[in-house]
Formats: sequence, C-alpha cells, structure tokens
Amino acid sequence: MSGFSNWLAAHTDTMTLWIGALCTLGLFSILYRENKIYRFFEHLFLGLSMGYLMGNIWTDTLRPKWWIPLWNDGEWWQIGVLFCGLCYYLMFFKKVSWISRLIIGFILGVSSGLAFQAFVNDYWPQIPASFKPLWPHPELRDKAGHILVKALSVPDVLNNLIFMIILVCVMSYFFFSLEQNNRVLKRSATAGRWMMMFSFGAIFGSTMMARIALLIDRLDFLINDFGPQIGGQGVMFIVLLALCAVVILLVRRNEREQE
Amino acid sequence: MRYRNIIYFLNRIDRRILYTLLILAITIPFFYKIRIPVPISRQTDQLYSAVEALPANSMVLFGADWSASTRGENRPQSEALVEHLMRKKVRIIILCFDPQAKFLMQAIMEKKGPSHGYKEKRDWANFGYRPSQANFLKAFGPDIPTTLSMDIHGNRVQDLPVMQGVQTAHDIDMLVNVTGSTTSDAYVQYLQGSYHLKMAAAITSVMVPEAFNRLDSGQFIGMMPGLQGAIEYEQKLGYVGRASIASESSSAAHLLVIALIFLGNICMLLERRIVQAGGAAK
Repeated sequence: MSGFSNWLAAHTDTMTLWIGALCTLGLFSILYRENKIYRFFEHLFLGLSMGYLMGNIWTDTLRPKWWIPLWNDGEWWQIGVLFCGLCYYLMFFKKVSWISRLIIGFILGVSSGLAFQAFVNDYWPQIPASFKPLWPHPELRDKAGHILVKALSVPDVLNNLIFMIILVCVMSYFFFSLEQNNRVLKRSATAGRWMMMFSFGAIFGSTMMARIALLIDRLDFLINDFGPQIGGQGVMFIVLLALCAVVILLVRRNEREQE
Repeated sequence: MRYRNIIYFLNRIDRRILYTLLILAITIPFFYKIRIPVPISRQTDQLYSAVEALPANSMVLFGADWSASTRGENRPQSEALVEHLMRKKVRIIILCFDPQAKFLMQAIMEKKGPSHGYKEKRDWANFGYRPSQANFLKAFGPDIPTTLSMDIHGNRVQDLPVMQGVQTAHDIDMLVNVTGSTTSDAYVQYLQGSYHLKMAAAITSVMVPEAFNRLDSGQFIGMMPGLQGAIEYEQKLGYVGRASIASESSSAAHLLVIALIFLGNICMLLERRIVQAGGAAK
C-alpha cells in the first residue's frame, strides 16, 4: 500500500495532466453530438463539485466555527445552532410543523433587513452619478489649491449628453403610468428600446468573448501543458487536427447515409 | 450555376467545420511568439493606478470567487493582479465564496510568492471558502478576526503575523474581487458601501456591460474586463503571463467570428435574392 502511495505521490502531476486532458476531450465530444462519453464526464463533474462543496463547508466553516469551539473550547451553547437547524426538518411532521415556521420567519426577517441595506448601498450612489454636467468648464480649486471639481472638456460634455439622452429614453420606455400616445413620449420610448437592443448586443458580444477565452484556456492546457506528455506541443496539435478530421468524416458519412 | 452552388454550400456549412476553423485560429498563434501591442482601456488603467498608489505593507483583501469553469478569464486576471500586488510589497488576505477558488488561489500564491520573497502567514494568508456571502460579509466588516477565525491550514488569526493590526474593515486599504459570478454585488452591498472601501473588480466579459454603472458611480475605482483586461494589465505591467500568451489567439478567434458573421449574412442575402429572382439555389 505504501508502495502505491509513493508511486501516486511521484506521479501526481502526470496523472493530473492525463485526467485533465481526458476530461477535456470527453466533454468536447459534445461538439460532435450528444453521446454517452459526454454524459459520463458531465455527471462525473457534477458529482465531484457537489462532494467538493460539502467537504469544503465542513473543513472551512463548520469545523473551525462550530465543531472545534463546541468540543475543544467548551462553548457548549453552540449545540443550540444544531437544534435550530434541525427545527427546519419539522416541516415534515404536521403536528409540530409550526416550529419550522419560526425558524423560516427568522431567516426571512434577517434576509429582508439585509436586502434593504443591499439596495441602499448598491443603487443610491448610482443615482447622483447619473446627473452629469452638460457645460464645459475649467478646473475648480479651493483656496488651498485642492481640486473641487475636475475640468470638463467638450468631448466630456458630448459623452455626458449621449449618456443623458440614453438614460431619459430608456426610462421613458419603462414609464407605464400613462398610455404612450404622446408623440414625444412614444418616440423617446422607441429610441429607448433601440438603445436597450444595442446594450443586449454588447452583452451578447461580451458573452462570445468570454466563451472564446474559456476555449483558449482549454486549448492552451491541451497543447502547452498536456502536449509535452505525449511528445510535444506539435504532436498534440496534430492529434487535435486528427480528431477534428474524424468528426468531420463521421458527419459526412451520416449525411450520406441520410441521403 | 457554380456561383449558386457556392452560396448554397456556404449557407449550409456544417457547424463542426466552423469549430475546426476556430480551433485552428486559436492554436496556430501558440506556435508563434508575435506580440501585438493592445491599447490600454480607461478602466484597466484606473485599476493599475490604484494598485500602483498603494504604499508598501498596505492590507489588500483579495476576494477570489472563481472556479475551473471561468479559469480562462479569471486565472490570468488573478495572476496579473497578484504579480502587481507582490511587486508593491503589500499584505494580501484571500477570501473565497467559491469552494474551488481556495486551492486555485493557493497554487497561484505558492507559485509567485518565492520569487517576490513572500511567505505564507507573514505576508499573505488564505482563509478559504465561506458559504452565505451576505451574512458572512455583514459579520466580517465590524470584527474580522472573530469572523475569519482560521486560515485553510488551521492557523488561528491571532497567530498570523500578516493579520496584526487588522480588526475591522476600516483597516483594509483596498478590496479586489476577481469573480466569475455576482459576488461583487454583495461586496458592494455589505462592505464597500458601508465602509467606503476602495474596491476594484476583475470580472468575466459577460458581466462587463452592466459593471460600468459601478465604475461610473465610483463604487469601483477600476476594473479588469475579462481576458482582454488581463492582456491590457499584463502589458501595462510589462509582464508576460497567461493572458499575453492568449492575446494573439483571442484576436485571431474574434477576427474569424466577425468574418463568419459577415460571410453568413452576405450569403443569406445573396441566396434570398436568387430565390426572389425565381431560381432555385441548387
């Protein structure tokens, strides 16, 4: 057993690279079509993540924050936390299910308070930041020479103007208190909808960028990290090309069979 | 007839051929060491300046909230930021709201630390994964030692030299959040807003358009947007890391996607015209 442990310790890096490469290629097999290899690696990944999460909750939170104080530091009253947690499960027993509602009510109250603070800290600073100056001016300083207001150039003003127009147009789109029959309101709402479409386009473009970045990382791993394991980056590049060629040939064969 | 067949073929090209082209566009630049300079965006420049302005021995809270699923963007960002922070000789404490991040960050710190003379416990500490971010940060702000209690090796906070003098969030000089999810929201809501911390975020590209609100309002003093931000930061830093290696692959892949979008639309319009003219495409 110790021989195996030593062997494992000596080959951990190599095994990590091989397992990583096999998992990557297994998951990439979805690019051909839905298949059992992909399903296997998908379930493996989900199971591992859940197990890993549970392990981390114990080692990083429950053990240092609850178990050690309870057993080693004599903080016996921490057993009450376990009792409160278990009360949650009383919802499955009709006669005493009211006890679980006490705990749920407590959690809801805390969450509501937190949500209010979250809203204030998150959105309030953005409201004054939306009011932007629309006239160019030089830098303003106090008597001690400290900058009170930064200089505003003509391009800055143009930026602010575009920002204000978009803000008003988009807000008018969400103005539902009146029927939007008024010509000005109607046009600004339509413009607002267009602006949002541009914004969604930008978000979609960013999503593309993110996905490409993730693909670059995996291919970087396969070629630059795993490649040397099988004879070099060039060899891995040829293996990848060969896999792509096999996939294309399989697709062509399926097409011919369907015809 | 030949022209029509080409249009027909291009409109129905199998997606797996496009995947192969994308793989080629990404992998071929790995074999060439060309470095195309990229313009530095305002938000990356602001983040760089904020880190640059930190005096030595400042305390930086490094919120690492990413996992293997966003490693392509968040790892180069983390490496570039850690490189800069270590050059500035500041103290770093790592906190994760994603369970995978603690080991991913530990590996980065252990790799970079020795070359900068950084030692764990003395110059940096990793406090690992904590669940329930909102509740945790609410408790963290007024009493850091009690809330953190131990690092990932089981060392108590009071035994860590790096934590000397750190009691509340007011003792933190800068908060950097590298994230692949919405954890920067909770940092703004329960820490930055309440304690007026200097906060910067390194986020994935998907989140960038919405994060500009926070940059405009001053809630973020700087931002590193996706892999592109990491490329810019490395260039600003004069450091060749993961992002710089991926730079040309990223450009090539984007050019290919743009070209394919143009080609697809042109072919669609041409085929529509052929059909309207009364001729079948094939």
